[in-house]
Formats: sequence, structure tokens, C-alpha cells
Amino acid sequence: MNPDPLVKPDLLQGTLDMLVLRTVADEALHGYAIAQRIRLVSGDRLAIPQGSLYPSLRRLENQALIKGEWSTAPSGREARVYRLTAKGRRRLDAELREWRELTTAIGLVLGNA
Amino acid sequence: MSWLSRLLRSRTLDRDLDRELRAHLDLMTDDLIRSGIPPEEARRQAAIALGGVEQVKEASRDARGTRLVEDWWQDTKYAVRSLRRAPGFSLAAILTLAVGIGANTAVWSVIDAVMFRSLPVERSGELYALRHSAPSGDDPSYLFSYPGMGRLRDVLPDSIPISGMGSIVRMYVAAAGRAEPMQAQLVSGNWFQVLGVGAARGRLLNPGDDDAGSPPVAVLSHTYWDRQFGRDPAIVGGVIRLNGYPLTVAGVVEPGFGGLTVGLQVDLWIPLRLQAEVRYSGGAWSRDANTDEPWLPQDGIAWLTLVTRTPAGAFQQTEARLAGQFRAELLERNSDTSDAAGRARRLRAQLVLEPLAKGFSPLRQAFADPLQALMVGVGLVLLIACANLAGLLIARGAARSQEASVRVALGARAGRLFRQSLTESLTLALAGGLVSLLVAWWGGHALVRAASSGPQPIPLTLALDARVLGFAALLSVVTGLLLGLAPAWRAARAVPFGSFQAGGRIAARSLHRLPLGRLLVVSQIALSLVLLAAAGLFVRTLRNFLAVDTGYAAEQVLEARVDPRGAGYSQEALPGLYQRLLDAVRVIPGVSSVSLSMHGLGVGAQRISDFRVPGVDRPPEFNRQGQENFVTPGYFATVGMVMLRGRPFTDADRLGGPRVAVVSEAFARHFFGTLDVVGKRFGYDQPQFEIVGLVRDVRVNAIKQRPTRMVFRPLSQVPEEYVQSVEARADGAPAEVARMMRFAIASVDPDLPVREVVPVAELLSRGLSRERLLARLAGVFGVMALLLAAIGLYGVVAYSVAQRTNELGIRMALGARPGAVRAMVLRDSLAMVLTGLALGILLWLPLQGLVRNLVFGLSPRDPTTLVTAAVILSLVGLLAAALPASRAARVDPAQALRAQ
Repeated sequence: MNPDPLVKPDLLQGTLDMLVLRTVADEALHGYAIAQRIRLVSGDRLAIPQGSLYPSLRRLENQALIKGEWSTAPSGREARVYRLTAKGRRRLDAELREWRELTTAIGLVLGNA
Repeated sequence: MSWLSRLLRSRTLDRDLDRELRAHLDLMTDDLIRSGIPPEEARRQAAIALGGVEQVKEASRDARGTRLVEDWWQDTKYAVRSLRRAPGFSLAAILTLAVGIGANTAVWSVIDAVMFRSLPVERSGELYALRHSAPSGDDPSYLFSYPGMGRLRDVLPDSIPISGMGSIVRMYVAAAGRAEPMQAQLVSGNWFQVLGVGAARGRLLNPGDDDAGSPPVAVLSHTYWDRQFGRDPAIVGGVIRLNGYPLTVAGVVEPGFGGLTVGLQVDLWIPLRLQAEVRYSGGAWSRDANTDEPWLPQDGIAWLTLVTRTPAGAFQQTEARLAGQFRAELLERNSDTSDAAGRARRLRAQLVLEPLAKGFSPLRQAFADPLQALMVGVGLVLLIACANLAGLLIARGAARSQEASVRVALGARAGRLFRQSLTESLTLALAGGLVSLLVAWWGGHALVRAASSGPQPIPLTLALDARVLGFAALLSVVTGLLLGLAPAWRAARAVPFGSFQAGGRIAARSLHRLPLGRLLVVSQIALSLVLLAAAGLFVRTLRNFLAVDTGYAAEQVLEARVDPRGAGYSQEALPGLYQRLLDAVRVIPGVSSVSLSMHGLGVGAQRISDFRVPGVDRPPEFNRQGQENFVTPGYFATVGMVMLRGRPFTDADRLGGPRVAVVSEAFARHFFGTLDVVGKRFGYDQPQFEIVGLVRDVRVNAIKQRPTRMVFRPLSQVPEEYVQSVEARADGAPAEVARMMRFAIASVDPDLPVREVVPVAELLSRGLSRERLLARLAGVFGVMALLLAAIGLYGVVAYSVAQRTNELGIRMALGARPGAVRAMVLRDSLAMVLTGLALGILLWLPLQGLVRNLVFGLSPRDPTTLVTAAVILSLVGLLAAALPASRAARVDPAQALRAQ
């Protein structure tokens, strides 16, 4: 395990929320697993500041975008796992659409430069 | 999860978060161990990766969005805990605030009931009373004749009704063998319908009850039904005798309704047409009429107050129509143009509609000024209490400055310290506000009792309703803020470790002198001066009134207030009754002389007539009014009126003989311009009466009035008049003589109602209830203010001495004498007192206007009162400072220096 990621961006709040939503979209995960998954999927490029993860989870939960439940992890440890709600799914779709449009637009501008 | 449930479950959520973070750490530690790192190191790395557990928790709590409320709750818990650690202080503070807020709420509840509360009727905003200037003068009048009411009704559409009512009078209901007094009112059949008041039992009056042939009925108020009949439902349909006349009880009015006059509870209503049957003779104005005949058909007797219900849209039309009809009648009545000036004056009269939403209220007029002054007074007391407690809180805050410094050092922000300190004051104030409701409830009723002139309290409904509770709540919050701002501001200025320097002593000179505390003491003294000065004015006003010469011996005369008219005596039976009354009372031991009179002294009942002196031409605006009374020969000797000239009445002044009169100085001066009037003649329109005597000026109605222009005539020459008073000159114990008088009168006729037997002095003093109330309450406020200011001054001086022990020790070590140290402390205190006095005088100047109408016999800017108040305050202030000053003088230099 490499503790030093290549990129350590100062993640904007909205971005972190989107990443978390996307990460729990496929399966229910607990906080630690979410952080690990993001790091893994990004090829160690994105390391979430773990201190920001839990406030983000609270925010999303308050907006009823995700739902947390206590369950027992395969290791036998108790953990609170989060899954996407229907509302969260809609929000994620919208955010993804927006994100794609934005990156396309930025890509066009940068590509033409 | 909603915001509210997050707030309510914040404790569970905190626990969940804790568990979750621990799980996170465990999982990560496991991973790290698996990658070959030793457990201790793995745990450490996991914790570093997560960041501080507490910080993550804080941030997560912030994300919950309930932070503000949770902090507030925490502050409150903290405040309650710290208040409980100083139970003595907290209890004293809460009680002080409870009294302060409660007194304000009590005065407010009375003001609300008297001035602002709407009548408990349907859509009270639509109700109006018809008011016009009285034809005989410019005083407003509400009185109309019965035929006049009909004519006004005719000019309005059917949808806009007019209803009439007589004044509220005392009548007697026969109950258990004796005549029970109660308050009755005559009203037209549509009255209850116009007001929109419903029945609790049976039915109320309806227009059919105005018909001459309908059975005579009465409607009871709910309180009277409760008080007199114990809510017996069987009374509906039963018969009661009102002033001897049998009536069927038709029903009971819904609870809470007691008529249209605030402060007067009507017990029973009957139809107008029964005026003659129940011998009603309430307030009336008559002209060319015979008041002994039934009043209903006579246009010359104005005795009805008219009420109409007009929707807002139709108001102007209604008023115009009524005013037009009134004007037409006025012109018709005054068609005689011979007396041009008088006619022009009478034609100035106009009819207007006066809003009746809050009811009629003689109380409102009498007590508007005193209540306002009281409100200001209790407000000042509360302000002083606030300043006092703020001073104590600051001193407490100073004592806890180490704690504050620690908290600042640990990262508490100034805003949080400010909020926390303020929360503490608010908690105190709200606790005080809660307790204050008891004070308000008790105080409001005590106030009404104190303001009542008779033995019975004014029936005023004081409810702890939303308006009063809202006032108390608002006042508590404002008080908490007032109380807490200064200490909170100080608390927020705490500096980390500041208090640890020099062993916990604050180094800066300005801090140990507690400048804010001194400012608060100065303001307490200023406010106290205002209250003391007001108290002085009111006490002296009362004394001035009590010193007024009434012109008779009010202390020694007992007055029995009787009502032979209410008992049903015919005019023929009166002379016999009078003789028996005189005989029965005369033989009581301790009674040296006895008399009868139509109107007793000090009760305010009066008959006003116009008089004329033959051969003297007066301009039309000359006031020809004089007050008449009919008395038996012993009257002047019994009540102690001084005959200046001529003779009193004798048994020789009898019916058929020369008609004689005794007049007062004021009458002689006004009508004759001289006191040399014995032998002169005057009368109503002809010179009917010869003056045989002159008495010194008298104030027969009330102490507050100027000497009355009195005309006394022998009762024997007007034997048809009903007397209402039996006077006895008591040489013995008044209470015993009064008891014997009741027996004597009952032995003459057990059915003759005796309202009360009291010394005239007591009757007169009831007329001073307002002055007494003000003097008493202002006195109480003044003493409270004085005490609070003294405590405040003591506290600040004592604190400052304690803080300066070190400095004082050095001074004395360097040779300062104890006397000089004491003088220094006293000089310091005196400076505060004098500053406060100067400020108080500045404050007093604009407030004098409030009491201008409430003082008598002295000016509101009376310097003696102000100087006396200032001297008292200075003395009390020095006394309060003397104790800490002598403690300062006893400081032992060696000990003080060692204590460092």
C-alpha cells in the first residue's frame, strides 16, 4: 500500500460529494471502503482527506441522497455502510451529465487552443 | 432525516459517529497490520491519516446543521449548572427579577383590562354609542328620551338597530327575609341581540319584552347566578322580587359578560318598560317633565344611553342620518329666539358616534394618568434591579476571570464567551419571568383592591391570557438582555493567561476599579432619585388632601346609608318613618345628636338646581347652579357645620310655614356677592325661600372638590323626598355605635336596606383612593429603589476595596493614616452618589410632566421634595459605603503585602 498518492487535490466540497455518490452507486460501502475505493479506482491519483469524508457523508445523508445502515463487514467488524437512495441516483445522474458537458466544453476549448 | 429529528436525536447521532470513526480506524489499522506494520505503529498511522478524531466529529456535527441550537442548549445547561453552584446568588437574583417583572406585568394586566381589552361581544368594532353635547352645557352627554330613541330608530334602515339602556343602579332583591343589594340595568328588548351576546340558560330579552302586555321578566348575569343562586338551574322560570316588584327569571347570560361598563359588573337586566314598576331613578336629565310619573312616554326626560351596531361600510351614512335627525329636533326645540345667546350656545350641540369596542369606562378616565405613572414607576424599579444584578454579574465574572482565561487559551472564541455569558443572564431572567407570573397574578388583584374606593373590589377581569403572558415573556427577554449585555461584553474581553499574571490579580488599574460597575451604580442612584422624588410628591399630595378643611367634623359623624325608596315606601309613609328613625337612633348610648338628610356627606350623590335672585340681572353665561340638600333640624349640630350667621332650622320650620333656607359661604358669595345674606330671598324661578342662616364653606361631596354652593332646606317642608342618610354624632367607640345604629334601624323596619354604616371620614377617604394608591406604591417603589441602590453601591465599593488590598497595604506601609484611607474610599463613593444625583435631576425634569395632574397643593418641580430625596439618597449611599471604607482602613500592611 502506497500512502503517497500522485495527486493530492484540495477537493472541492461539491466534487467530493459527487465522488462519494458515484462510489456508493454500485454497491453499499462503509466509510473506509469508500476512501479506499476512490483511491484504487483513481489509480492512486486521488486521496480523499479522510477527515473530510465523514462530514460529506453526513451532508449527503441529511439530503437523503444516501442512507447509512449498520452491518457486519466480512472481516467480522461492525461498520456503517452507505447505499444510494433513489433521490441520490437522480442527483448523481444529473451531476454526471453536468460534469460531462463541462469537461467536453473545457476539452473543446483546451483542444482548440 | 429532518432537521428537527436530527436535533432531537443529536445524542444518538453523536454516538453513531463515534462508533463509525472507531470502526474506520480499526479497519485501517487491520489493513496496515496486514501490510506488515507493527500494531502500535499501524494504529498511530491510521489515526494520523484520519486526522484528529475530535476535529472530524466537530466537522460532522457542523454538517448536521443543528449546531446553533445545540450550542445554545449546551450554553443553557452550562448556565444552569453555574447558577446552581451559587444557589444563594441565583435565588436572590431570580426573586428580584420575579418581583421586578411581576410588578410590571401586574400593572400591565390592569392597564390592559382597563384601557385596551375589547368587550366580550360579537364584532365589538361595529358598536357605537350615540353622544351629544348636553343642551344645558358643554359636557358630553349620552342621554336620550325614550320617544327620542324611537325617532332616531326611524331614520335608520332595519339592518342597523339602535338599542337603549339606563344607567347601572343599585336595586334590592328580596332573599331569605332580607333585601340584598345588587346592580341592575334597564335595557331595551333588542339589547342582547344588538350586542350579539348569548344565553347560558333559558332565553335573554327580545323585542317582545318591550310590549306593554308581556309578562315582566329579568335576565341574570352568570356571576350573579353563581353568587346568589349557586347555579341552580331551577331559578330559570322562578320568580324574584326586585325592589318589591315580582319578575320571572327568563334566563342567564353566557359567562364573561357583565355589561358595557368596564369595572362595573351588572347582576341583572330587565326591560325598559318596567321603569315605574321597579322605581328606577338612575341618571337622568329632565326638562318640563314630571319625574314621579312613568318616564317612558315623556320626551322631557333623557335617561337612555343609545347603542348602535353599524358595519364599517355604513358608518358615515348612519352617523349622518342620526346627526341630521338630532339637529332637526334641536332646531325645533329651540325655535324661541328671545334668548339669542343661550339659543346659540344650545345649538352648538352635535350628535356623533363614539366607538364602543372597549366599553364605557369611568375607570379609564380616573386611572389613565395614575396607571401611566405606575407603569413608569415599576419600569424604573426593574431598570434599577437590572443595573444592580448586572453589577453583581460583572463582579462574579471578574471572580471567574481565571476560568474565562483558560477557556480562551483552549480556543474559545470571543463570540462564544459572549453568548455564553448572555445565556446565563437570559436563563436568570426567564426563570424570574416564570416566577413573576405568581407575583403578577397576586399583584394585579392587589392593585385593583387598592384602587377600589369602596369595601368591594372593582370587578375587573384580570386574565393571565396570551397578551399578558406575551408581555411577561417579552419583558423577561428584554430584561435578560439588559441585564446581560454589560457582563457579556466584559466576559468576551477575557485574554488568555491575563488573569494568571501577578497571581490572579488583574494588573491594570482601570480593571480593578470596575468602571462598568461604577456606571451601573451611578445609574441606579439616578433612577432612585426619580422614584424617591415621585414618592415624596405623592405622599405630600395625600397629606395635603387629608389636611383640607371640609367644613364639618368628618371623624365624629357616623353615616348610615339607607334606601326607603328601594324598600318600597310610599311618600305618605315617609314622615312617620323619619320620626321613628330619629327616635330609634337618638337613644343609642354614645350618640349625642342625630339627623336625616336626602344625600349623605362624602358619597357624591347630589341634586343640582338652577337658582335665581330676584332683582339681579345676570348675563346668560352666569352659572346659576347650586347644590340642594334637605335636612332635619339637628343636621348642622350633628355633622358639625359652623353657623356663621343666623340660625339653624328648628321644629318651627314646618310645612305650610314660611319656606326657609340655610346657604353656604360659596353660595352667598356667588349669588349675592356678600356674606350678609340672612333675611334675603331667592328661589328656582320666584323668590320662594328666605335665608335664615349662613354656614361656613363646606366640601360635601368630596375632598377634591372646591367648596360647594350649598342650599339646605328643612326636610319638613319637602316631606315627599326620600332620605338616603341617617347621621349620628358619636362620642363613644365608632364601631360599637355603628353596630347599634344597624340594630336601631332594623328595629324600625327590618326590610329597610342599610347599605353601610361608616364614619364620614372613611367615605371621604374613599375619594382619595387614587392618591392613597399612588402614595403607597410610590413609597414602596422608592424604598425598593433605595435599598437596591445601596446594595449596588456597597457591592462595587466592597469589591474595589478587596481588589485594592495590596495597594492600600502599600499606602499604609508608606505612612497613610487609616483615617485618610477611609476618607479616600468615602470620597470615591460620594463622587458616584453625586454624579448619580446630577444625572437623576436631569432625568427627573422631563418626567415631571407625567405627575402634573396627580399632585395637589404643591408644584411637581417642588424643590423641597427633590432636595429631601437627594439628601436621603446621599446619606444612605454613605452608609452603604461606610462598611467597606472602614474595612479598607483596617488593612494590615504586613498581611496585605505578604498575601502577594
